[in-house]
Amino acid sequence: MIGEFIDGPFWYFALGVFLLGVAWRIFSILRAGIAVDFSVPTGSGAVGAIRAIFSRFVPRRPVRTGGKLQLVAGYMFHLGLFALLFFAQPHVDFIAERITGAGWPALPHWGFILASEIAFAGLILLWLHRLLHPVTRLLSSADDYLGTGLVFLVMLTGCLALAQSFEPLRLIHLFLAELLLIYFPFSNLMHAFTFSISRGYTGATMARKGVNA
Amino acid sequence: MVISVTREIVRICSLSSALVWLVLLMFSGPGLLWAAPEPQEAGVVPNPGADLWREVRQRTPADTTAGPTEPRDMNVWRELRQRETFGPSAGVTQARGVDSGVLINPFGDQWRQFRMERLLPYGGYLLGGMLLFVILFYLIRGRVPIHAGASDKKLFRYTVFERTVHWFLASLVLFLGITGLILLFGRSFLLPLIGPEAFSVLASASKEGHNLFGPLFALALLLLFVRFVRRNIYQRGDLTWLLKGGGIIGKKHVPSNFFNMGEKSMFWMLVFVGGAIAASGLILLFPVFGQGREWMAISHVAHGIGAVLLLTVIIGHIYIGSIGMEGALEGMTSGYCDLNWAREHHDWWAQRCEERGEVITKSDSSAAKESIPAHEPGLESGEVAK
Repeated sequence: MIGEFIDGPFWYFALGVFLLGVAWRIFSILRAGIAVDFSVPTGSGAVGAIRAIFSRFVPRRPVRTGGKLQLVAGYMFHLGLFALLFFAQPHVDFIAERITGAGWPALPHWGFILASEIAFAGLILLWLHRLLHPVTRLLSSADDYLGTGLVFLVMLTGCLALAQSFEPLRLIHLFLAELLLIYFPFSNLMHAFTFSISRGYTGATMARKGVNA
Repeated sequence: MVISVTREIVRICSLSSALVWLVLLMFSGPGLLWAAPEPQEAGVVPNPGADLWREVRQRTPADTTAGPTEPRDMNVWRELRQRETFGPSAGVTQARGVDSGVLINPFGDQWRQFRMERLLPYGGYLLGGMLLFVILFYLIRGRVPIHAGASDKKLFRYTVFERTVHWFLASLVLFLGITGLILLFGRSFLLPLIGPEAFSVLASASKEGHNLFGPLFALALLLLFVRFVRRNIYQRGDLTWLLKGGGIIGKKHVPSNFFNMGEKSMFWMLVFVGGAIAASGLILLFPVFGQGREWMAISHVAHGIGAVLLLTVIIGHIYIGSIGMEGALEGMTSGYCDLNWAREHHDWWAQRCEERGEVITKSDSSAAKESIPAHEPGLESGEVAK
């Protein structure tokens, strides 16, 4: 009964909240607009935006030297999670079956496990750093901990269900993933989408002013 | 406030993990019963494979019925136990793989007997004994206070990276410890309690979690080793500390360095025993490098013994680092320790810090003012931190 609810109506509800919520947040940002710049542009805003979006994947020197742990753990977590989310065989099968109707090549099992190890190590280290560093501890809000906690629990229950032999484990994992989908649009996790808007805006503005940002 | 909340969380975690241990060990009694030679008891799930194997094992030559079939039975049995003498007596098969020519491996039965009749009961006694000892010790000795009282002065003790590495390893040890104990003792005490369906789910989850987080334990050990090894090399005075019981037994003060002999021994135990656990775990986890059943069995034995020993010591470590001693946890949560605590437990290090003028007032150690030391805490200023 509960299983059918998690597998059926609640999944569609969570997916709906996620899609509508993300669209609404992005629309809100875009609708806010930007101040009109009457000055003569010294460079192309579009080029600046694209350059900023991609160039900032490479950390600058102060970040490279001052925050090695965050840098390494951050890349480990995000890359590991990306690989897990979109290239783990169970996820590819699930997305193909429920959403897209067609799948794509998945990671081999060892690659899946390796991605999990990397993602877990990165997430735990980042979480601990957030808790233990006095500055990040001050800057962190309940939203940060809740988002991190939910992502961790989804990953953990996914790893516990790796044998794919027990329905309760799959349902717990799916239920937590659905909670995460519902929470996602209203949290800092939205940075997964807004990072490109933020970088693009900064890059375009600075390029128009002729600033190498 | 955040520190006190963090401390509270750590305390709750410590107590809850202690509770888990207690529950686990309370039920190690049925585990001992289950480990007895007669396993057919109420609550034990039927296992046709094990029953068949038991039947075959009991058919020793003396038990075979007299008559024309006797020599054939004995020969069959001798053939079945072909791996009693290793190597040449293995069978021939088209299948290519390690041990593919072995029908029954008697060494596996030795391993099974060791696991059921030695590792389970003695491991349970050891862990339960340690837990009981810690509880009794706390009831008799109480919490070790800072005799001079908490001061308004602090010493910088651990960097953010060092604390992160410590808690990374600690969280992994807790998770791997709990899942490992479920795998080791679960069938004995959880199965009769929660039934086969729930236990199979729990055991599968524990196995997958244990396997996935295992390699991270090796990574955490490596980070710990690289970061802390220089301060854990034994030096003059450490043996004196040990001979005087570390000061926790009795009232007499025992001087020590940045790390005392107990902490250093804990570190080296983590490195060597933890390293053996990690290595044996990897051998078990990746059976694709030609390791046969003997290697797997030996690795399992090493893994089990090492884990029980390490967990026993870690119970003591968690106790003394949390509820057992006032001020001990602070250094690992905030990075700063109380000056009076340092004077009472690590006075040679505290004295050096005071001589170098590294004592700071409480307000200076508040959030966002964390200083980056020119050298690793506990090392001389000439030894620059990397």
